[in-house]
Amino acid sequence: MYPSAIQNYEAPDSVDGAMAAIAKFGDDAHFIAGGQSLMQAIKSRIIQPETLVDLQNVDELRSLEMAQGVTIGAMVRYRDIAANAGLDGRLGALRDAASHVGDRQVRSRGTIGGSLCWNFVSACMPTVTLALDPRLTLGSEARGRREVGIRDFLGEPMETDRQEDELLISIFFPEAAGRHGSAYGKWSLLTDGLPVIGVCAAVSLDDDNKCTSARVSVGGLETGPVRFKRAEEELLGAGFDDLKSHEGAISAAAEEAEIFDDITGDAEFRRQLIRSVGLKSIVKAFERAAAAGADQ
Amino acid sequence: MTGHTGTGIGASLPRLEDLPLLLGKGKYFADLKRPGQLHVFFFRSIHAHAKIKSIDTRQAEELPGVVAVVTGEMIKDELLPLPQPSVTADLPGRKPTFWPLAVNKVIFHGEPVVAVVAEDPYVAEDALELIDVDYEPLPYVGDMEAALDPASPIVHEGWDSNQIFHIDFHSDRSESEHKDYVKRVAELIETAPHVIKQRYRVHRCGVTPMEPRGVLAEWDDTDGLMVWITSQRPHVDRYVFADVMSLPVSKVRVVAPVDQGGGFGVKAAIYREPMLITYLARKLGRPVRWLETREENLMTVGQERDQIHDLELAADENGKIIAARDMGMADAGDGCAGMYWGYNMPLVGAARFPNAFDIPFCEVQMRVAVTNKAVLSPARGLGIYPTRFALDRAIDMMARKIGMEPSDLRRKNLITELPAKLSTGITYDSGDFRKTYDRLIELADLPAFRKEQEAARKEGRYIGFGIGVGAEPSGVHSRRYIVNTGTPAYAATDVRIDHRGGVTVYYGDAPHGQSHKTVIAQIVSTELGVPPEHVTVIHGDTQSTPYSTGTVAARGASLVMSSVAVACRDLRKKMIRVFAHDHKADPDYSDYEFADGQVRHKRSDNLRSGFAELAYRIIVNSIDLPPGETGSLEQKAVFENDFGMVAFSAHGAFVEVCAKTGRVKILKYITSDDAGTVLNPQILVGQIEGGVIQGISNFLFEEYVYDENGQQLSSSLANYKIASAADVPAIDVYHDAGTYCPNTPLGARAMGEGCIGAVPGALGNAISDALQPFGVEIVETPVTPAKILRMIRG
Amino acid sequence: MKRDVTITINGVEYSGNIPIRMLLVDFIRDVAGLTGTHVGCTFEGQCGACTIHLNGEAVKSCLLLAVQCHGKEITTVEGLAREGALHVLQEEFHRHHALQCGYCTSGMLMNAAEFITERPDADDEEIRHALVGNICRCTGYTNIIKAISAAAKRNASV
Ligand SMILES: Cc1cc2nc3c(=O)[nH]c(=O)nc-3n(C[C@H](O)[C@H](O)[C@H](O)COP(=O)(O)OP(=O)(O)OC[C@H]3O[C@@H](n4cnc5c(N)ncnc54)[C@H](O)[C@@H]3O)c2cc1C
Ligand code: FES
Ligand code: FES
Repeated sequence: MYPSAIQNYEAPDSVDGAMAAIAKFGDDAHFIAGGQSLMQAIKSRIIQPETLVDLQNVDELRSLEMAQGVTIGAMVRYRDIAANAGLDGRLGALRDAASHVGDRQVRSRGTIGGSLCWNFVSACMPTVTLALDPRLTLGSEARGRREVGIRDFLGEPMETDRQEDELLISIFFPEAAGRHGSAYGKWSLLTDGLPVIGVCAAVSLDDDNKCTSARVSVGGLETGPVRFKRAEEELLGAGFDDLKSHEGAISAAAEEAEIFDDITGDAEFRRQLIRSVGLKSIVKAFERAAAAGADQ
Repeated sequence: MTGHTGTGIGASLPRLEDLPLLLGKGKYFADLKRPGQLHVFFFRSIHAHAKIKSIDTRQAEELPGVVAVVTGEMIKDELLPLPQPSVTADLPGRKPTFWPLAVNKVIFHGEPVVAVVAEDPYVAEDALELIDVDYEPLPYVGDMEAALDPASPIVHEGWDSNQIFHIDFHSDRSESEHKDYVKRVAELIETAPHVIKQRYRVHRCGVTPMEPRGVLAEWDDTDGLMVWITSQRPHVDRYVFADVMSLPVSKVRVVAPVDQGGGFGVKAAIYREPMLITYLARKLGRPVRWLETREENLMTVGQERDQIHDLELAADENGKIIAARDMGMADAGDGCAGMYWGYNMPLVGAARFPNAFDIPFCEVQMRVAVTNKAVLSPARGLGIYPTRFALDRAIDMMARKIGMEPSDLRRKNLITELPAKLSTGITYDSGDFRKTYDRLIELADLPAFRKEQEAARKEGRYIGFGIGVGAEPSGVHSRRYIVNTGTPAYAATDVRIDHRGGVTVYYGDAPHGQSHKTVIAQIVSTELGVPPEHVTVIHGDTQSTPYSTGTVAARGASLVMSSVAVACRDLRKKMIRVFAHDHKADPDYSDYEFADGQVRHKRSDNLRSGFAELAYRIIVNSIDLPPGETGSLEQKAVFENDFGMVAFSAHGAFVEVCAKTGRVKILKYITSDDAGTVLNPQILVGQIEGGVIQGISNFLFEEYVYDENGQQLSSSLANYKIASAADVPAIDVYHDAGTYCPNTPLGARAMGEGCIGAVPGALGNAISDALQPFGVEIVETPVTPAKILRMIRG
Repeated sequence: MKRDVTITINGVEYSGNIPIRMLLVDFIRDVAGLTGTHVGCTFEGQCGACTIHLNGEAVKSCLLLAVQCHGKEITTVEGLAREGALHVLQEEFHRHHALQCGYCTSGMLMNAAEFITERPDADDEEIRHALVGNICRCTGYTNIIKAISAAAKRNASV
């Protein structure tokens, strides 16, 4: 209900300041971004921070740049992503996810960086980024900046490659020539809830509208989000409107996946959701990629 | 559906309650502060069933800001446990003895074990982390059926079984008559051409209000105990506090705040925590406050339904029901809640089992077990949700078996002759069930739907239609209510006119969203001809209002509003007598009307007086009155009906079930309701819409979940899933096929409580109808997508 | 452990030397004494009863610390009516009977107040979607949707 006592609160206004603050206060210091996950943990006292380093004043983390690829600052909010019409086609999945996380109020606070660093087992952004394959920039006072790919960043659920003193600075989606599309969809019992299953698909098409690369990630599994290699392989060469192959690809992958039962659903139910949510995401990703071609 | 444009009965008068609430100036419990108040947090059991070996509170006591740390051992000789006489009159069944804090052992996950009192709520919560309790786990009793097995471990020390209640409804049959009756039921079922034999189950869910509970108590050596409490029953609370603290009732004043954030039954029972808070206030000599967290709320109160029905339904070739046998079973949790004791709900549900149906021979039994769960406690549609589900589902299954359209079979079996008495002894006073039902059928346009359904199936879309009905209580009567809760049912109001013609209505209940202020003002406006703004309503304060059981059990439009009308009518008569006397006119009551702030003779224009002037004449200038007449315009009226009144509803749900994800989408939901005289159409519709959505949310989303060790897994709103606006449809409410209720002075029937009853039947039937191509019959709730897919897979 | 915090609420500055851990909603209710903002959750931030505006945006005040809002301006339900005139939403909630117990109402109003300026043309389904973060236990939502829709239309036509 109420947080346990907090000793220090800092609100630096620069990336260096943020890295310095976390270094200074050490182990029991936590960054707070939108607070939409961290505050839940603090109020239920699962986390009892000695120090909070608030990132809200660090303008650099709020920027979203679209030059030579897209760079999204860690503090860019769901709300900003959902409203950014520039994030279409190739990065359409980001907007699909961002516009359906939680509710309006959560989207006005919650950030992409916070979601990735929290890496909650069924959260949307880890699943989406796993398929979009960005590179992340992290920084610490002691060791400076470094880059890491999303696959290496996301660990087991609630774990990441981020070291205690590291700040996630930005998420970079390199420019890519060609025709690409991505889409994300999720299923939860109540509208816009944490997904029971979320599926992100990202595909590229050649001039004949045949698939040249595909990445499919599935969230909601006990393991955290995973890539569905089988589906990706089967999609290669599939036509953009070849519903049968799309369906076959996701079904085959769903069949193979290791899935558990829990109170939100049995394994067979999840498999079925992967098929139906997955197919929708795949079809939409293909459509977006095909439309990208139409512009050129 | 907006009623006429006036301000009296029947108008959709915008609510008088609204303005402060819209401005953020409501006066809810949590908004109240007393100087020097202390805050309580509870340390609660992490086990479902365990012996308490030791409790170490030393560190917590030493934490700066902590004023007291108390345990069950410390309090058990200083205040009396429940049950107490205030809440047990004539109650059947067992009543476990319990104190506010666990003594010796804990019996559910979430039971209060230690209470910390501190200067600051944040500090009180800090202290919880410093308490150490050593437990010895005991076997968890979590399944109601297994709990009733003689071999089961026992929940309550000293009991020889876990059965807390059993009833075999006799109505007025003697023991030997009943024996024959039961035999006849068995024969009929055995020889009937068509029988449905099925187990139906409704899960644990309820209607947790948005505002959690709270208690603030203050002790004064002269005045005694003052308690502010979120409550639907301040007067009953008052008697209980007096009982457990051994105080004269006159030394206890209880106030339920003017504004309460919903109750739906949850705030109607007598729970552990308030008794402890009142005790602490006296013990510590300072105001003591406890504000429930949502977690505590979800873990301890509002868990309802949770019944199993083994039902046999028999019909003849033509679909006329000839007999039924319903063997019910329910899970009372630990049974530790005053008034309800975990079994009142299943008792009521079973008593009302036959619903609106004419079942010539109907045997009903209900067995209730205690388990290591939170107590089963009241929720809107008290007890009936599971029984409605069972019978309404069985009727559709029967229709399919016979090859009839379910809506025809249902119609055929509706009770047509009223008043009626059910085989369980329940009575219905009046109404025209078929008329109200036929209106629904007309609105639903079934032939068109069946065509649409066929076409949809060809496209692989599964749509379905289902009906549920409810013959629900419209106010209860004391003969029944005393047996159910240990308190009487009558409504008592005190209507006082002041010398400027203002009217203040005092009554002892505690509304929490029902719009009583507005409706009472409308009734006074109609009866006395004053504008609604001149009416003030005082409720919830035991110091100023007459004793009455509370805002529960559909007592609003039926009993409370009736008592207001009766009191107003008595006042009218007195005013007419004095007026006629002063003007040497004939005091024939029917010759006078009260309107536009005037009292006037209908036929002589010069015989009139301002309402305020006449009030002044009688209250202040109280000389030269008619012989035998006294001054003052204050009238108390008590209203009750010795015969059960009824309000009938028929609901129709159109759904589409996605065969890929199992998702149920409600396409359209229609209700046809008999509310009798509609006092305020907008408010009536609002009540029904709210109740129906609660019923839908219960059916599809909400569930209190216990794991195999009795750990509660639904203690936050992230896990106990309540429908948001995006999860539910709009509801089309019709009340144009109702019937005047001859047994209330205004002809009104109460709808607020019972309107949820028809929901589970309507939804269960609609979903089953949609899934007929897969042969699916819904017999268990909640109906989640995962379950639907499993059933489709077969 | 404590900080001097000043927050402007509905145009009025409120200051206090408060513990860092104090929730914004407690600052609003206990320090500023504005009790129109309600609490319905333990920690989960699901009910929306505590919704206020921070920088003009609807957010949940139970998921913020008061120190995070030092020097900032927030609006609560008490600040919705201006100079004695009700906000269109307050009028339409009244007209459409969009509240029963009133406990969820402040949060509903605050969320909707931002939403209707952002999306004056929203249809019923979009309005329902915008209200996912606010639970109402009493009304069944239909009248709330009607009220918001009517208010949005009136707002747009001004
Ligand atoms: C009602 C509700 C519904 C929700 N529904 C969904 C949903 O449907 N789908 C979904 O995916 N999520 C959902 N969420 C979670 C939401 O997405 C959170 O916003 C998100 O997980 C965390 O982002 P944040 O900015 O709020 O981070 P915070 O909560 O502030 O921080 C989360 C963690 O990340 C760390 N951190 C944050 N930023 C950085 C940084 N730049 N560098 C290093 N560490 C950092 C923090 O220290 C903390 O450990 C919901 C939350 C709520 C309250
Ligand atoms: S109290 Fe903030 S969302 Fe419920
Ligand atoms: S009006 Fe009671 S919760 Fe919405």
